[in-house]
Amino acid sequence: MRGITKRFPGVLANDAVDFEAAAGEVHALLGENGAGKSTLSNILTGLYAPDEGEIDLYGAHVRFGSPSDAIDAGIGMVHQHFRLVPPFTVAENIILGEHRDEARRFLINPRQIERRVAALGERYALAVDPGARVWQLSVGEQQRVEILKALYREARILILDEPTAVLTPQEAEALFGTLRTMAAEGRTVIFISHKLHEVKAVADRVTVLRGGRSIATVAAADATARELAALMVGRDVELAARIERAAPPGDAPALEVEGLTVRGDRGEESVRGASFTVRQGEILGFAGVSGNGQRELAEAITGMRPVAGGTVRVHGGKLRLGDPRSAIRARIAHVPEDRLGTGVAPSLTIAENTVLKSYRRPEVSRGPLLRWRAIRARAAELIERYRVAAPGPDTRARDLSGGNLQKLVLGREFSEQPSVLVAASPTRGLDVGAIETVHAYLREAARDGVAVVLISEDLDEIRALADRIVVVYEGRITGEFEPETATVEEIGLAMAGGEGT
Amino acid sequence: MNDSLVVQVLAQAVVYGTPILFAALGELLAERSGVLNLGVEGMMLVGATMGFWGMQRAPGPTSLVLLLAVLTAAFAGLVMSAIHAFLVVTLRASQIVSGLALTIFAGGLGLSSYLGNDLGLADVPPKHQFSDIDVFGLKDVAVAGPILFHQSALVYASWAFVVLVAVYLGRTRLGLNVRAVGESPGAADSMGISVAGYRYAHVLAGGALAGLGGACYSLAITPGWTDGDSLVGGAGWIAIALVIFSFWRAELCLVGAYLFGGLSGGLPSALQAHGYKIKPEFLNALPYLMTIVVLVLVSTGLARRRIGAPAALGIAYVREER
Amino acid sequence: MIKVERRLEQPRWLSFAVPVGSVGVAFLVMALVLVITGHDPLHTYKRLFVAAFDGKAAWNDTITLATPILFTGLAAAVAFRMNLFNIGGEGQLYIGAITGSGVAFWLGPHHAKVLTIVLMCVCGAAGAALWALVPAVLKAFGRTNEIITSLMLNYVAGLLLTYMIFDSASPWRDVSTVQTRSFPQSIALQPSQFWPTVRPGGIVIPFGFMLAFGVAAVLWVLFRLTRFGYEMNVIGDSQRAARYSGMRTRRKILAVMAISGAVAGLAGTSQVGDFSHVLDASAQGLQAANYGYTGIVVAALARYNPIAVCLVGGLLGGLQNAGLFLQGADFPSGLVGVMQGIILFATLGGELLIRYRLRLGQRAASAAETAPAAEVA
Repeated sequence: MRGITKRFPGVLANDAVDFEAAAGEVHALLGENGAGKSTLSNILTGLYAPDEGEIDLYGAHVRFGSPSDAIDAGIGMVHQHFRLVPPFTVAENIILGEHRDEARRFLINPRQIERRVAALGERYALAVDPGARVWQLSVGEQQRVEILKALYREARILILDEPTAVLTPQEAEALFGTLRTMAAEGRTVIFISHKLHEVKAVADRVTVLRGGRSIATVAAADATARELAALMVGRDVELAARIERAAPPGDAPALEVEGLTVRGDRGEESVRGASFTVRQGEILGFAGVSGNGQRELAEAITGMRPVAGGTVRVHGGKLRLGDPRSAIRARIAHVPEDRLGTGVAPSLTIAENTVLKSYRRPEVSRGPLLRWRAIRARAAELIERYRVAAPGPDTRARDLSGGNLQKLVLGREFSEQPSVLVAASPTRGLDVGAIETVHAYLREAARDGVAVVLISEDLDEIRALADRIVVVYEGRITGEFEPETATVEEIGLAMAGGEGT
Repeated sequence: MNDSLVVQVLAQAVVYGTPILFAALGELLAERSGVLNLGVEGMMLVGATMGFWGMQRAPGPTSLVLLLAVLTAAFAGLVMSAIHAFLVVTLRASQIVSGLALTIFAGGLGLSSYLGNDLGLADVPPKHQFSDIDVFGLKDVAVAGPILFHQSALVYASWAFVVLVAVYLGRTRLGLNVRAVGESPGAADSMGISVAGYRYAHVLAGGALAGLGGACYSLAITPGWTDGDSLVGGAGWIAIALVIFSFWRAELCLVGAYLFGGLSGGLPSALQAHGYKIKPEFLNALPYLMTIVVLVLVSTGLARRRIGAPAALGIAYVREER
Repeated sequence: MIKVERRLEQPRWLSFAVPVGSVGVAFLVMALVLVITGHDPLHTYKRLFVAAFDGKAAWNDTITLATPILFTGLAAAVAFRMNLFNIGGEGQLYIGAITGSGVAFWLGPHHAKVLTIVLMCVCGAAGAALWALVPAVLKAFGRTNEIITSLMLNYVAGLLLTYMIFDSASPWRDVSTVQTRSFPQSIALQPSQFWPTVRPGGIVIPFGFMLAFGVAAVLWVLFRLTRFGYEMNVIGDSQRAARYSGMRTRRKILAVMAISGAVAGLAGTSQVGDFSHVLDASAQGLQAANYGYTGIVVAALARYNPIAVCLVGGLLGGLQNAGLFLQGADFPSGLVGVMQGIILFATLGGELLIRYRLRLGQRAASAAETAPAAEVA
């Protein structure tokens, strides 16, 4: 790929990027969130068209008008957010859109396809039941389906976008093995990530992207993690060091959860009898692969989801479960996983979103009427204090960037002086600067005595921030660790369901 | 035996259910691709109008004329649906408002009235109409005879369509693709399936079938044309509801259509023929009330199981957005 | 190549220009249709305009027709703002006429006019609100699609209306003379019960018309300045955010539908009190005019803003007036519906321009601004 440039309204996603990868190698594309990695790969797979630049495949110039062109050319992609159809079976998903062999408009023979898929799975140690419906599968299994999709079409070039975000450390290792096998067969594997140690573990060469530009291409063995980080961020960076706390957390328990059982969307038990305590000023980190009940746990504590059993106490007072107002009154702040879809009303302005939870308070309302001047003043103050980059309080929430939106949500939640803060995947999709800011706020909250529940898939983040770590697996707490002493292996084992303490 | 009330009701149920069935199949196709088209009532009216016009104008023997009339009706419905398709697929407008606009535009106070009056179709005696066919000479067989073997060609065509749609959706590759478009357009798009293309195709097909359904009225059930909404009388809306109760499956559309056909047309006329006196308004209200009842039952039930509307129904698909 | 890009800001003037432009486009397209079908567009338009707005008689008729449309437009706007698609305005109007006239017939002519009118309005609104609560309850607690349920109830309400006058011995029927016993009709309001009018410069403005403006003002305050309105905005925008912030969504659905129904009911009550002075269940009466559905068109064009509804309602009232007035052998019937449809289509298409920007060719947007908030990697 040469001189690839791509613009979106308000942002230059790729700026004259050059990128090349050879057959038989695992080539990593490294960069922080927002650096332009996904955009580049979407161009390569035909989803977007580049504004400038060209692509050569095996020496020949190519132009992709649509994803099927790229697929026909032998490029397969495993997206970060899976492109699967949940109610379909694995087999149906794999053959979707396939227009080569087999009777085109006519009848499909499900059994034949399932046999083929099963055989493929065997060969690459990616076993999945071809007749299972995708919504029933675990996230790791779904990822296997995505990979099988590409292999079924005999992809010569396989691109994986942040594949380990949904895997335990052990599953990630297994994946690396599969990738090396594929490379050894002569395929080209392009591995997109922002995680340094993974890149060093699996890649032969690394290309670093930053701010939409390609910065450097090096052999993975030659560069140290620190050098790569510096290239990635543009300055020298202290890698995820644990900052020792000035004052340890207090002893008073702020949040006590006992025997919490919660049902998920499909009626299954997502959280099974979870019990834990968070002290005042303590950060309790919940590690675990997403999909093990973390979301339901956060929603249960904050009242967004009804609870099948158990109790939640804040400073001794029992919460009325399943009622968000009860949680709000108990001063539980919630920074949700889905910030745009849940944390704000996207079409409303910043000012309107500022009072999302506090609009009934006397400072902003007089009887049934709202005091808009006071509200806008508050919003302006919030924007100022948390440095949200926006033209003003009348900007719509959906027009903010991910980082700024998160700052808005955090700022709003903090300004209510909460006793408990539930932060679910707070730094997902943010660039390093925003991540640092969010981490700083979380630490500050803990210093102010707030009990913080930090749920994250990023183990590094948890190890850097948490005072204590618990691991969630299939709705149960399978381990509790001290961050200073626990090893990644131990935690990873607990994440995968093994025993640990 | 074949003159009994029950048999009569059932036979009439088939007759009155057929237009609803056609329209429902069409709406089913559109909704499976993710597009909600509320303009069915309007499309049926225009189809009825243009079908009648076609029948009056076309030369030739009865069967040819009727065929041309039916094609005209289907084409008229298709053109109407094209407006909706353009607005919601290309221009990404609100599917609900667009569908309602189509109903108003094409409905009894709109285009169908305009065309009907302009073309001088009111109070015109029909030159041809669909008559009942005696299939395999079985029309007098006990019970099944009048119900199954003595219906018009339109009824038998509707059965063929049910099979066609069911096989298409369930067993063909194209059917798999369209179902993917309706459930996860992002996934379909990334696999190289043209979301817009499938949506257009299925909305247009839906329009054609709705037009066909409308023609059932003006060419078979109440041959002739009348101004206003009464020609179709809410059947388009019942068809939309029918798609929901059939859990988006063609086979179940058949059952539901005859249930509602029975209530809306079969029962009243059969009761009258047998001399039962029930207040007409009550009978006429039955299908609408039943629709509500069944819809409630289905909706509360749907929530519990995994069967449901195509996940992307009603949502415009935009690809290049960040 | 035309590229469609999301706009970063939505300029205010566009929200106003697009509906206006749509009306213009609609007139153009309609002209085309007229030409194709052999009518003279200019002549037709001139006749339309004259019939709608030229002279006192025209204005009176326009105001007469606009009155119910204002109410139903407001009713639709209230509900649609929160993504509640209340198509049942038509039926709610009938019920409002029934209950509103019912209390007036029951009271009789010997009470103070103020009392009569107030009670009529209250009962009309209340009856219709209850009718609207049926689909509301089904939606809030049964997750049932309100479009179909509210629509089905329109048909039921219409049948009920017909039944009450033509097929039963209901209290609404006038059974005082031999004639009325044989040819069913409704009791009539006495002159002391008629709703008042004001007559500036010879133009007749009925009470209902003024009431509609009052309702519009109240709704405007409700949406912009109250907590209730704020909650409506949030729920209408994102159900999840509403749940997150502890808003009681189900209660709001019931409340909003009830308000919507109540306002539509006032349309029906006003029909009885201002104009017909009977409960007109005939085929040429309430059921012929489709006020409820027209209200939806008005609301959509007005982008659910109560003040705009008043303007648009006036315009469409004029159109409806002209359409009815000119109905006859030489004027295309169904013109009104067609025009309304085209105006709506044009507005829908124009909506695109508000949310997105069309770019020709390959020119790109400027760089280095904040990127939108969708997930990025």
